[in-house]
Amino acid sequence: MKSLHPLTWWIWSLLIVGAVVSANSSWLAGISIAGATILVWRFAADAPWARSFWFSLKIGAFILIIRTLVGILIGVPIPGTKLFELPILPLPSWLAGVRIGGVITQERLLSSIHEGLIIVAVISLFGAAVSLTSPHKLLRVTPVVIYEFGVATVIATSALPNLVQSISRIRRARLLRGDENPSWRSIALPLLEDSLSRSLELAAAMDARGYGVSRKRSRYRPISWRGIDSVVVLAAFLILSFTLAVFR
Amino acid sequence: MINFSRVSLVYPTSTKTILEDLSFEIAEGEMVLVIGSTGTGKSSLLRLINGLVPHHTGGILAGDITVGGVSTQLVRPGELAHLVGIVGQNPAQGFVTDIVEEELAFGMEALNIAPDVMRKRVEEILDLLALAHLRNRAISTLSGGEQQRVAIGSALVMNPKVLVLDEPTSALDPIAAEEVLSILHRLVHDLSLTVVIAEHRLERVIGFADRIIHIAGDGSAEINLPEEILKRSEIAPPIVHLARALGLSDVGLSVREVRRMTEEIRASGKDIPREVGQLGEIAIRTNKLSLTYGEKKALNEVSTQIHSGEIVALMGRNGAGKSSLLTTLVGINKLSSGSSEINGIKSVDLKGQVRRETVGFIPQEPSDLLYGQSVQGECQQADRDNQSAPGSTFALLKRIVPSINPETHPRDLSEGQRLALALAIVISAQPKVLILDEPTRGLDYQSKALLISLLKNFAKELNRSVLIATHDVELVAELCDRVIFLAEGEVVADGPTLDILLSSPAFAPQVAKVMSPRPWLTVSDVMRAVAE
Amino acid sequence: MKTFTSDIYKFSRSSKIALALTSVFAAAGFTWPFFASDMESARFAQYFFWVAMPLAFALLLTQLSDRSLDAKSVALLGMLAALLAALRPLGAGAIGIEPMWFLLILAARVFGSAFGFLLGALGMLASALFTGGVGPWLTYQIFAAGVIGLLAGAFAKDLRGWREQIYLLLIAIVCALGYGLLMNLQFWPWALGTNTQLSFIPGGDIQINLRRFISFHFLSSMAWDIPRAILTSVLVVTTGPAVLAALRRTKKRAAFLTPIEFSERLS
Repeated sequence: MKSLHPLTWWIWSLLIVGAVVSANSSWLAGISIAGATILVWRFAADAPWARSFWFSLKIGAFILIIRTLVGILIGVPIPGTKLFELPILPLPSWLAGVRIGGVITQERLLSSIHEGLIIVAVISLFGAAVSLTSPHKLLRVTPVVIYEFGVATVIATSALPNLVQSISRIRRARLLRGDENPSWRSIALPLLEDSLSRSLELAAAMDARGYGVSRKRSRYRPISWRGIDSVVVLAAFLILSFTLAVFR
Repeated sequence: MINFSRVSLVYPTSTKTILEDLSFEIAEGEMVLVIGSTGTGKSSLLRLINGLVPHHTGGILAGDITVGGVSTQLVRPGELAHLVGIVGQNPAQGFVTDIVEEELAFGMEALNIAPDVMRKRVEEILDLLALAHLRNRAISTLSGGEQQRVAIGSALVMNPKVLVLDEPTSALDPIAAEEVLSILHRLVHDLSLTVVIAEHRLERVIGFADRIIHIAGDGSAEINLPEEILKRSEIAPPIVHLARALGLSDVGLSVREVRRMTEEIRASGKDIPREVGQLGEIAIRTNKLSLTYGEKKALNEVSTQIHSGEIVALMGRNGAGKSSLLTTLVGINKLSSGSSEINGIKSVDLKGQVRRETVGFIPQEPSDLLYGQSVQGECQQADRDNQSAPGSTFALLKRIVPSINPETHPRDLSEGQRLALALAIVISAQPKVLILDEPTRGLDYQSKALLISLLKNFAKELNRSVLIATHDVELVAELCDRVIFLAEGEVVADGPTLDILLSSPAFAPQVAKVMSPRPWLTVSDVMRAVAE
Repeated sequence: MKTFTSDIYKFSRSSKIALALTSVFAAAGFTWPFFASDMESARFAQYFFWVAMPLAFALLLTQLSDRSLDAKSVALLGMLAALLAALRPLGAGAIGIEPMWFLLILAARVFGSAFGFLLGALGMLASALFTGGVGPWLTYQIFAAGVIGLLAGAFAKDLRGWREQIYLLLIAIVCALGYGLLMNLQFWPWALGTNTQLSFIPGGDIQINLRRFISFHFLSSMAWDIPRAILTSVLVVTTGPAVLAALRRTKKRAAFLTPIEFSERLS
């Protein structure tokens, strides 16, 4: 699976997002969440970014719960089959005259869940795209026109794991000086100094190795778009066309 | 290949002339060594070669420098990348990307070299430097020697005519250093690469150098054959000091040469009696100490004792468990089994002030200990921590480095001064045991001599113990009473310095190699043996 | 010293225009609930901006990468962004407190507002890539962080000493609260949906919508925004001078603006 082009899953998820949104159907939303889950579970590499999807699902679930609760508590009433009734609790008038509670109908509840599901589907599709694509690879297909920003991002993502090491090293040094509960400041300052002097060394190395000399840049091992990529994108495109045809 | 013509250099923020009226030429395929004390401008000289100075740093450059006929005034450093490759002091700080292969390609990408050419050159370099099996590894997971090879590779991949290296072996154990140096040697001989190298540990590189540039520190510099420079220079490897002390007419640069000159001494020298010091009470005691990180066994049943008044070296290759043992002793790591104690206190119970007063620890990066805004501020903090009289830490520091300016920011100190500051802070708490992790990285001979006398004083006069993890065999020979040798977390040898160092060729100091089979480790040992 | 108050990187004229255009677009992306005329267009706007904001931002980046960033700026940008990303989750346990802001503000102050913009944006991006916080909201966060960097570096560059401290304190509070406000603004339409009493009313009176938003903002995020503002200001006051000193020392050491001279002989 690692041979897929890094943009493939992004295009795929954008197309599916289009399908879910245009269809406006909770069923399709649910199916796409399930589909994304299977894809990530089957194909995502064992890497930090692969956690993104599960994180998105958590956020999605959180949003769904919030939306449902908020819908129940302060939703605009929708007439229909009554499920239960909450006591009405008026809030002070300066809070836009909001009224808490009231009659909760089945329609009211379903409306909240329906909208929520679509949002969750969109979020988890984004999450799936992130999980299925190595950010390093993605950076390698960033167009050379944003080279400078691309290099800065590469530096940032390469430096992050080192920072974690530096933090534990500095913490240890604080302990060694007899400081059992090192203050935030006494770790942050050496870390900052460390990183700043590191960045100057890095800049010298970049300058010496030809950074910024040529207006054009080439790519080592350019990543090419292959048949399988087209198949994945085409499948998503078919789904989008289908929903546009059926639900409109 | 490299031509300096009446070069002078001044940095914008100072009035000091770093280099003055310097002229020399370096021919193709030459290997030139740059020596000088810390802060005399070695790095500046190296960085002048590819124009990083003054293009990157600012400054006023007088005179002209050309490399392969191109003047550094006219082009930016990057445009010289195909002529000059440069490897900085700390390779880990110069990596832009995180994967070996991509790091090698970075410079070529920036110069818009065609992908198929890039592939070919990367493969060549991977083979040349024996990095092929590491191509997809994350750089941060490599050992120091491997990282150094990647750094050299990413400079070489541009096919430069000149390779400039700033202390390429200072962070490496002797075996890894040997690997890196022999690669350089091969490049000079096979590819006629011109190499300019700065290095403090002359004993490692002197055999490879065709000529030496000696920077005096007052702006002047001398370039000459190694024999000529080393006849007078105060910076010299142990064998040169040996030749001088013995009053030999010539200085030899290789062990082989000096062995020929000293045959008679080896034959006639008296045996020197072993010093059998009285062992003090036990300061450090470990019993079947084991430590595991996840699956990996970092330490395996280490049992040892260190007495007060003893100076002990902890040696072994990178990753042998030296740092793990040190940090476990001071109670930073939770040991998996066994026991360890310092001065009768269990390591795990060392906390806060008790730890500070029991054991002083200088980590690999002494600057980690420092977070004040000035030298003065750091010293005052230490005084407060130890509830000692205001100014006492600074007074201690002044005795080590008389010239230190109290207003300086700790980050702006030289390596040696920073180590001195960290030492002063740690010693000011009057710990019973002093532990140092790789203290001699980047130290010149002068600072090293100072460190040696300081530690000797601490251990012998005050009857306290010192434990040093180090790769520096010369330091061990001069300073330590005993060596503990670790391999894969286990103690494989433990005994008097003399026995341990002589038993392993890779870890034998230069003088011992010259004097083998006689058991003399240092110049002063030899002098005592020949003294009437 | 004059070099202390000048920016290490400035936007070119065309970059400024691109930034202005993107800002107008982003403003629309944040405030569309007040202008949506009916349910259908509100739905469209929600998803349109989720897709279009990243594209607009990508276009802006192509313009900003006009070879005016030298190696030192890029290395510094990457390192500081990594630091921001490392700092962000340190507020964990209290989502949203995010101690990254103070460093962004201080760095933007030292290195200038154009640098601050890039730093804020890159810091957010790096952090999202590593904590998995990539979602439709990311571009909004990136843009908001960029604007904070931009503002923090823009004004009163000559202030020093206690005046600078007070000024930074103000900036810290404004930025921390402003970021909360902006995030809620993008959160509001999709987290709440359209049919609660605090939701926006498509086509509704702008005043009513504004009041609803303010109530939503007040109810939902006081618990996050106030602590964030307090933390950021405390950090700015306690570590500000030391961090500023470190950044300024680096700026000086990096010799961003020091002259390079060549001469025949040293006079």
